[in-house]
Amino acid sequence: MTEFLKVEGITAGYGDGPAILDGAHMTVQQGKVHCIIGPNGAGKSTLLKVIAGMLPARKGEVIFKGENLKGLRPDQTLRRGIAFVPQERALFPKMTVRENLRMGGYILNDDVERDRRIDEIFDRFPILRERADQHAGTMSGGQQQTLAMARTLILRPEIVMFDEPSLGLAPKIVREMFAIVRMIAEQGVTVLLVEQNAVMGLKHADWGVVLDLGRTLFEGSAQEVLHDPRIQELYLGGRKVA
Amino acid sequence: MEQIIQVTILGIGLGGVFALMGSGLSLVFGVMRIVNLAHPSLIIAGAFTAYWGFRLWGIDPLVMLPVATVLLAAIGVLLYKVFFERNAKSATYSEMTVLLTFAIAMIIEGALGAMFSNTQRVTSPSYATDAFFIGNVFIPKGQLYAGLVSMLIIGLLAAFLKYSRLGYAIRATTQNRDAAALLGVNVNMVGLMSFAIGIGLAGAAGALTSFVFSFFPAKHWEWIAVLMSLVVMGGMGSIVGTVIASFGLSIIAAFVGAYVGSTWSTMTFFLALFLVLLFRPQGLFGEKPELL
Ligand SMILES: Nc1ncnc2c1ncn2[C@@H]1O[C@H](COP(=O)(O)OP(=O)(O)OP(=O)(O)O)[C@@H](O)[C@H]1O
Ligand SMILES: [Mg+2]
Repeated sequence: MTEFLKVEGITAGYGDGPAILDGAHMTVQQGKVHCIIGPNGAGKSTLLKVIAGMLPARKGEVIFKGENLKGLRPDQTLRRGIAFVPQERALFPKMTVRENLRMGGYILNDDVERDRRIDEIFDRFPILRERADQHAGTMSGGQQQTLAMARTLILRPEIVMFDEPSLGLAPKIVREMFAIVRMIAEQGVTVLLVEQNAVMGLKHADWGVVLDLGRTLFEGSAQEVLHDPRIQELYLGGRKVA
Repeated sequence: MEQIIQVTILGIGLGGVFALMGSGLSLVFGVMRIVNLAHPSLIIAGAFTAYWGFRLWGIDPLVMLPVATVLLAAIGVLLYKVFFERNAKSATYSEMTVLLTFAIAMIIEGALGAMFSNTQRVTSPSYATDAFFIGNVFIPKGQLYAGLVSMLIIGLLAAFLKYSRLGYAIRATTQNRDAAALLGVNVNMVGLMSFAIGIGLAGAAGALTSFVFSFFPAKHWEWIAVLMSLVVMGGMGSIVGTVIASFGLSIIAAFVGAYVGSTWSTMTFFLALFLVLLFRPQGLFGEKPELL
């Protein structure tokens, strides 16, 4: 059986710069929530960018359902079913919520089908229907993040990757974000999640991947990773995280 | 009172044409971050297209307008391919385009001068020198038609940006280039298309200008400052802002021309540019402009 998504021995960097990733790998199981944790600058965002095709890998490979994604652009990985919400959320602030969702379905060639799917999204996220004609940039951080995550679903992706969806959100809103992540996973979509807050992330995940200095330190079930003593060490030499 | 209405009408007439001149410039800046100093020289090229159509074959400049639009759009594609496409990833792109477009402006001026000489010209369909009268107030037909057609074209442009698939892609690219690329927009194609549309609008503006103002190849220097003041005031890259600034400033300029002296009329634009840069460099209408 071919693995769903295989990420192996990834070395990557920006331009001619140093290798930011050097030997990163992770196991991905279909339909599960995977949380990538690690200190600032570990290369978590960089790893997602490599998978999305925004940054070419210098070495190593990303294989999705038996196909090597090497050399594919972001729109090509998108067409294959991998959607990505970068750390900056990538919304169009002066377009309305509905227009942002339409942009999410930009590569669909059927406008009727696209608008039908947007209606489904509105059913699942009533707040977005309420705000449909409001500019995205005028919504709260949590609503913007909801929009960014919901927008990926228009293309009915197989994998969604969220880079720090909780960034800058109040604790109550963060819990809502994780509820959305779980809901997406329950529909059978595979989730790759980067989280600054390791405990919070791992508690909502099935699988944990620990990245440090561009390489994968270890990975395992979220429970294992959460209770692994190496985690304590990684985060400021013994600061309590669990 | 009549005098005031009269001057306002003349100002509105000019405002429409300036609005069209400025929207192409705004579009190109909004999407591509190109400060296109060659825009007015391309307007002159459009004016020559309409002029020769009328001179040689007697074709009405309003009929030549689509021809000038398509011709200039094609020139836009060529310019984009030759000068801008390769450099789009450079970090100093926006600064570099200032020098590059300055050079292009000089080349176009030189080429037009060599072909057609630097004499003053104006396209002269019958309506260009005719006017409607309402009481004692006269509305020059040429300016009226040019202003109306300008507004029609700007309206079509706005509808295109608002509702068409390419329009969505253009707006999205303007607001967040990386995000647009991530969603499958071919941002390079969007750049090319908006550049072509922007230059096509210069062609359209040129055809209308050709019977409103007299023109010659070096005339574009005068317009650069006028157009820059409109675009900066409108908030660099906002078409709506540019249109509002065009009407506002043109009306003010008309009053200055009527009551202070016609040589001061153009100064209005420069003074406005100066004041805006000094006190509100982000433009009159807000921090982050959008096309619409
Ligand atoms: N566009 C870029 N160009 C050059 N270097 C970059 C770029 N983006 C990130 N880097 C560098 O790559 C390294 C890893 O960055 P990355 O964003 O992947 O880390 P991260 O684990 O996501 O960190 P954070 O938790 O702060 O988001 C950092 O040292 C950063 O300076
Ligand atoms: Mg990051």
